[in-house]
Amino acid sequence: MIVVREISKSYGKVRAVRSVSFEVGTGRIAGLLGPNGAGKTTTIRMITGTLTPDAGSISVAGYDVGRAPTRARGQIGYLPESAPLYPELTPAGYLDHRGRLFGMPRAERRKAAERVIDRCALGPMRARRIGALSKGYRQRVGLAAALLHDPPVLVLDEPTNGLDPSQIRETRSLIRELAEDRTMLLCTHILPEVERTCDRVIVIGSGRVLADGTPAELTERSPGQQRYLIEARTNPSAGVEPVLATLRSLSGLHDVQPDDAQPDDAASGWSRVVVTANPDAPDLREPIAGAAADAGLFVRELTRERQTLESLFVRLVDQARERTDAETGS
Amino acid sequence: MKRVLAIAARELDGLFRLPVGWIVAGVVFVGETLTPGQPATMRYFFVVGTWMLVPVAPAISMRLLSEEFRSGTIEPLMTAPVGDVAVVWGKYLGAVAFLLLMLAPTLVFVVVIWGASDRMPDLGPIVGGYLGLVLVGMVYLAVGTLTSTLTSSQTLSFLGTLIVLVLALLLSELALARVGPDLAAVLVELSIPARMRAFAKGVVDLRDVVALASASVLLVTVAAVSLESRRWR
Repeated sequence: MIVVREISKSYGKVRAVRSVSFEVGTGRIAGLLGPNGAGKTTTIRMITGTLTPDAGSISVAGYDVGRAPTRARGQIGYLPESAPLYPELTPAGYLDHRGRLFGMPRAERRKAAERVIDRCALGPMRARRIGALSKGYRQRVGLAAALLHDPPVLVLDEPTNGLDPSQIRETRSLIRELAEDRTMLLCTHILPEVERTCDRVIVIGSGRVLADGTPAELTERSPGQQRYLIEARTNPSAGVEPVLATLRSLSGLHDVQPDDAQPDDAASGWSRVVVTANPDAPDLREPIAGAAADAGLFVRELTRERQTLESLFVRLVDQARERTDAETGS
Repeated sequence: MKRVLAIAARELDGLFRLPVGWIVAGVVFVGETLTPGQPATMRYFFVVGTWMLVPVAPAISMRLLSEEFRSGTIEPLMTAPVGDVAVVWGKYLGAVAFLLLMLAPTLVFVVVIWGASDRMPDLGPIVGGYLGLVLVGMVYLAVGTLTSTLTSSQTLSFLGTLIVLVLALLLSELALARVGPDLAAVLVELSIPARMRAFAKGVVDLRDVVALASASVLLVTVAAVSLESRRWR
């Protein structure tokens, strides 16, 4: 359980985090999402205790980070961005060192190290120098170190950064497994990662919480424009015009444009068209298909694209930036 | 305390895994040699040692925290349940342990003197001298620990410590000869070479021991405050 209440932090005149509050419960994966410079890392550093907030309070697994810093830090497993490690040590040596820092007795350290080496599939690399390991393995050593003391709270900063696609998939499933009986805060700017792994999204921009909810809630709560993609065939000599004309005759549409990318078989009469509709418009697939059929167009694809987390994210961040600019009068 | 030792052990281990540690140890052994034809005493050895350690101590201490800042490993360290005071003391004690191990081979000179002289050498100045040299080295390393909490550059940390030590030693030595007796009395109290000369004579004054030891403790404490202040920045 992580409880963050109204924390703020400034670096000189720059207000990096402004009165941020949120809670994350056990068994949940919360994604902290935001562009670079939004205050994500500062927020994470305040939770993990590297930085002290100027105002506000944080409690981790029941311990106040300000009043009982060492206790609170003992509850957190933290994987910093880019997993900094001592290059001269081996993974086994590093894990042993971390175990000592967490005050674990020798036998317990050994057992715990075996457990996390197994869990993060580090077996073949355990006796190599960390400096000689690939980025993917170093990331796993960092994750193994974060899991060593079996913490109830995990904070992972860009955990799939620099991994190849198959490693990313493995790491994601590991994260899902780990979250079952833990509280997990995942900091990232990779949107598909959030949509696939997180139960909950906290969007941060310009140091503020811009949105907080499940990915589905967020996209539904603030719907953007609807988009439809249509591929249809006309007389090859007529080109895309008849399709555009047919669709423009429909009501409730915002705009109809040929897509930037046309199909490879455009020469045989196929063309791709993008239709945008207002957020409150009903589902337009039926009217579109009907109009196309009436006009004798042969349709092979008709897709409705819902608002994605990405477009929501871009919109929220832009709004926050405008607001901040207006406040500072620049 | 166990956590302090864990940090010290890693630091010591790191120094032996890096070429800089071996180079420094070699320089000390070669530089701190005995001169043939001189009286069978180590007094000269200890006085030279005071100056010898001026470049050596910063070379040991420069990476203590600077390297952690540069590589980012300070973050896992500061998020472990270890206080900043323990982190700094662990680092410092690791460096002191390295200093002790580095001075250990010079004990061979004691054996040489023993063999070369007809009479049993006077052990007082030797024991006193080593005690003094270690205490002085500890002050130097404490200065180095403090500067390494101030920068993420090992070069800056090295140069900063070197400049502070050279200035402190030179000023106290040069000024001593040029000021009136009142000021000289104060300067002698602050002068590291003056204390070292006493140790090398075999005069172990508790005041000297306390003065050097408390200078180290004070500097390491300031270093801990400096590290902690990073949490507020």
